Amino acid sequence: MKTKTIINNPPGAYLPGLIWTLIRTDFKTRYHGTLGGYLWALVKPLTMFVVLYAVFSVIFTMDPNYSVNLIIGLFLWDFFSEATKTGFLSLQAKTFLLTKTKFPSWVVVLTSVSSALITVIIFSIATCIYIAISRHHLGLLEISCFGLYVFLFLVIIIGISLAGSVLFLRYRDINQIWELLMQVGFFFTPIIYPLDIVPHKLHFFMYAWLPTAVIQFSRSVLVKGEIPTLTAHLMLVGSAAIVLFAGTFLYCRLAPHALERL
Amino acid sequence: MVALDIQELHKSFFIPTVKLDTLREHVLNSFKLRKYFRNRRELRVLSGVSFSVQAGETVGIMGRNGSGKSTLLKIITGIYQPDRGEVRCTIPITPILDLGVGWNPELDAVDNIYLLGTVMGLTLRELKTAKDDILEFAGLQEFSRLELKHYSSGMAMRLAYSVAFRAVRGLLILDEVFAVGDMEFKERCYKRYEEIRQAGHTVLMVSHNPLDIGRFCDHAILIEGGKIVLEGNGEEIARAYVQSLTS
Repeated sequence: MKTKTIINNPPGAYLPGLIWTLIRTDFKTRYHGTLGGYLWALVKPLTMFVVLYAVFSVIFTMDPNYSVNLIIGLFLWDFFSEATKTGFLSLQAKTFLLTKTKFPSWVVVLTSVSSALITVIIFSIATCIYIAISRHHLGLLEISCFGLYVFLFLVIIIGISLAGSVLFLRYRDINQIWELLMQVGFFFTPIIYPLDIVPHKLHFFMYAWLPTAVIQFSRSVLVKGEIPTLTAHLMLVGSAAIVLFAGTFLYCRLAPHALERL
Repeated sequence: MVALDIQELHKSFFIPTVKLDTLREHVLNSFKLRKYFRNRRELRVLSGVSFSVQAGETVGIMGRNGSGKSTLLKIITGIYQPDRGEVRCTIPITPILDLGVGWNPELDAVDNIYLLGTVMGLTLRELKTAKDDILEFAGLQEFSRLELKHYSSGMAMRLAYSVAFRAVRGLLILDEVFAVGDMEFKERCYKRYEEIRQAGHTVLMVSHNPLDIGRFCDHAILIEGGKIVLEGNGEEIARAYVQSLTS
């Protein structure tokens, strides 16, 4: 006899409200009772920026755009790192909901990246305003391209989080391995150093690590005012789609039984 | 009309005698495969459970702890996947498997109503209009902005019950959450439950209380060791359950 569960709930009606409520309550409780509130989310990457800038601006004195490149690299990396780490633990963190009631569990993974997304949006706006005022004019095309890169980064993050969240329920070490990868990735990605100091033949491998592509493309449009080629764009879009597809595929395969491990 | 049809449902869990969580444990154990498989014991929770529920009917499920009642409800709800068998449900399901699921103690009652209500399938618009009724039913209007961590357990249960029973759609599934609170609130719960029945909702309820099963269920089943051992009307099953406990 075939195995089949049919639940005839009207699907979409309550989902926008559920997503909004989960984001809102997560945001409210994260900084509940703190004097600084949401400012703490902004202080962390800013402090990192001040420390790194104080140390490395002495070394990279030849680059007049070092500070802007550094801040763009830092906040985009912080987005990637924070969002994926939260995403990996998202299902585990909502055990009390997922084992007692029925709603699409992917909503939990999706909303878990919201806090990091809000931070990156605030930083993006602030950086664009700073560049437009103190450096050069930013056209609609540059801003749109940058918006596209942040969106593609979000797609990549959701793909990784979907896969990581279900794998974590089976292999608890995955979380530790990912954190280790994040530590190594921080130095592998050209955040505190310019990509130009790396031998050209290694650039392909560095771009294969998708945060490098997103950060370099963002720097290119915001700082240099140069739009990457159409081929480069297509490769980034294709890579993001592959990551999302792979993550979704893995999630759909593993999630129904993975939830029994909660 | 059949609202819920369950055919030959089987479910087992593999209980490892050695718990393997980390990659290291998995890798080390893969070198001793035979031992690995010998260390997993199959626990049959459901063995060929079949029954159906007519629309508008109230069906009770009784059985000792560990007999498979909660697993059955989780499979019907879609939280667990069956190993074999089929669940067909033609109407929307509202599961209430635990009161206060999703409560956030750091948030006040209103925020928690929105959180729990949306999780249970209500839209924000529905919750906006229902919010005051929910607080009134729970008798907690004056504490609406108090954080839940300051509520007594009885107050929290009343609020949870009020939200849960506001979200009722086609088939209501209850796992031991029939009536809560003091006698006055319990009576209010029973009254609300009668309203739900009169509105034509179908109900599937698990209870250890023979009085509830006898009073409210048109039909009931008794489960033992993952199998249905007896079917009948509510009072018959309630009697049989009490006898099985005392014999």
